[in-house]
Amino acid sequence: MFVGMKDLGALTRAIRNISRRKIRALLVIIALGFSLAIMISVPAGILANQEAALRLTGNFNSTITNMEEEFNKTNTLIECSTSSGRGMFSSRPSGMSFNMSNPGGFAQQEVFVNETVVNEIRSIDGVKDIVPFLEKSSEETTSQTMSTPRGDFTISRPLYTITGVSLNSSFIDDYSILPTNITAGRNLHEGDTGVLVMDLNLTEYFNVGVGDKVTVNGESFTVVGVCDSTGQTQGFMGTRTVYMNLSDAQTVTGEIGNVSRIDVYVKDVSYVDTVASVIGAAYSEFTITTYKDRLTNLQNMQATYTETLNNAESTLAQTQTVATQEIIVAVAATSLIVLFMMLYTVRERTKEIGTLKAIGFSSWNVMSQFMLEGVLLSLVAGVVGIAIGTVGAPILSGLLLPSINSFGSSRGGFGFDSNPGISGSISASASISPEMMLLALGAAVLLGALGSLYPAWRASRTRPAEAMRYE
Amino acid sequence: MSEAVLKTENMSKTYAMGKREVRVLSDLNLQVNKGEFVAIMGPSGSGKTTLLNVLGCLDKPSGGKVILDGVDISGLPEKELYKIRRNKIGFVFQTFNLLPYLNARENVELPMECVKKFKSERRQRARELLKLVGLSGREEHRPQRLSAGEQQRVAIARALANDPAIILADEPTGNLDTENKYEIFRLLGNLNIERGTTVVVVTHDSQVASHTERMLLLKDGKIAKEKQGLHLTKKKLMCPYCGSKIQPSDERCPSCKKRL
Repeated sequence: MFVGMKDLGALTRAIRNISRRKIRALLVIIALGFSLAIMISVPAGILANQEAALRLTGNFNSTITNMEEEFNKTNTLIECSTSSGRGMFSSRPSGMSFNMSNPGGFAQQEVFVNETVVNEIRSIDGVKDIVPFLEKSSEETTSQTMSTPRGDFTISRPLYTITGVSLNSSFIDDYSILPTNITAGRNLHEGDTGVLVMDLNLTEYFNVGVGDKVTVNGESFTVVGVCDSTGQTQGFMGTRTVYMNLSDAQTVTGEIGNVSRIDVYVKDVSYVDTVASVIGAAYSEFTITTYKDRLTNLQNMQATYTETLNNAESTLAQTQTVATQEIIVAVAATSLIVLFMMLYTVRERTKEIGTLKAIGFSSWNVMSQFMLEGVLLSLVAGVVGIAIGTVGAPILSGLLLPSINSFGSSRGGFGFDSNPGISGSISASASISPEMMLLALGAAVLLGALGSLYPAWRASRTRPAEAMRYE
Repeated sequence: MSEAVLKTENMSKTYAMGKREVRVLSDLNLQVNKGEFVAIMGPSGSGKTTLLNVLGCLDKPSGGKVILDGVDISGLPEKELYKIRRNKIGFVFQTFNLLPYLNARENVELPMECVKKFKSERRQRARELLKLVGLSGREEHRPQRLSAGEQQRVAIARALANDPAIILADEPTGNLDTENKYEIFRLLGNLNIERGTTVVVVTHDSQVASHTERMLLLKDGKIAKEKQGLHLTKKKLMCPYCGSKIQPSDERCPSCKKRL
């Protein structure tokens, strides 16, 4: 037994001694509690960062794999787009007919070409098939408030994109031209008209499901399928898109006979360069992308990911160093708080120590009495620390550790935010596990015992005659 | 010949004050027999408290012997001395020295914790002792809710807890008013008379000291004079409330009019 006396006399005395100086005990418990909360929040933060780094690696690998698969499947594809990328439409004049659109004040321009070009390209030697698309912003708009260093401003942007697809291509299924991840209903089929497939988040926005009617630019359509294109590569699908027959799309957008993109499939990969150069020479308004560009993109992305992962590893190593230092400081602070508090208590209760010795308490009895008080105080502080840690671990670890969230956030180009392959943020939110709680209690008891060891020893060494004279 | 409970042989005590050595007690010879009620008197600085500390194993003598209940305690290490204090000595202090966070009963139980008595046994004995000192019904009161006289009674009950061979009281009436002063002395006197407890009291109050059987005057670290006391309480010649002289036949004190 710690105290070596019958019953819980020593424990009762320890509790009463702590509780009779409530304000002091409270302040010490809060201070100790924060130290202990830091001690458990920091490792929890590290664990969370490690898990976030693992998720990050997993996401990278998955994205690269998807891109490789896509790349292998589409190596005979030549993309001819009137824009250089999603949301970055170019508007170069040419002999063809162009329609400019600027829906809802959206600052970027959408450019279209007449679909007669499809048949012209189809006649080029080596071309196997062609899939024309029409992508145009909806007339419905939504407002979004942007925060900038110069203040907040609101922009109006199209609510969704209308994508018209030519459904009579034999390549539709092979090349995932249509949305792939159908979560309800069915995909579009050849011959479909007056129907559409809608993105999941749009169905939630409109509160519609399969079989319901929706109005697109004033025309009524039946929803036949719902897709979840979150995380899909941007070149093919957006995340707020309705998919329909090309002619339906041309009708509802008023772009009769126009298309915005043409996917050209050649007979085999040896034709890609030739056909691409012919198209490029003949139709300067197209931005042409072949497997080589996509390979370059893939390689760039891999290089960026590798660099980002290296940064993540470096940040983790730095985090661990910082964490070790912080834990050492927290341990030292906890021990010192207990040490000084107990030294003060021993000094304050010198006469009591003398009395206890005079009535027959041994040095060990006195020492264990004070150690018990120190340990008990630390134990209560441990519980408080766990409570603070449980609630405040994400905040504390966020304040005390370099965050994994910052990996790549300042990156341009292929930074995560602009990369649809890794959608959303990689969050590293620390949480306290039951094992960590037990560890915190153990640490509290140990540090309480260590911190009160010297004061308790001093108390036990007090000579009773001197203690009795102390005022 | 009477049995000696406490005996000193050429006992001395010196303190170092810087480079100077101050001799507080010098070749002191003293004997207290079993069942005696002895007062040690002397002016301030005469070494009364030092003597009591040495006799009570709170301090060690610099020379000579101190024999308590047949055991020479002068050379014992601290790990043996606390057992002597625990089992053979009961202390009563001028400032009572009760633990403020324990009630009267718990304060009395405290020395019994050291001798590993069971809780029920401790509680029972504490209640008996508090009844003996006239504090029945006040057991659960904390010191701050008791008067000075009551606190000293609790301290006396605590001193009796382990049935010691001797009670050493250092100015037990020093912090009390007149009425409480005689009450406490009467209580110590009654313990001596009725239970045969050996009591050594240090005091500078000669009127109070006259309650005892024997008075020792300490001067310059030595017993300068020894005088038989009247043990007036025993002889019923002193009012226990005001200290005035009375006759054994008096029903009320002629001075304070209280019933005797």
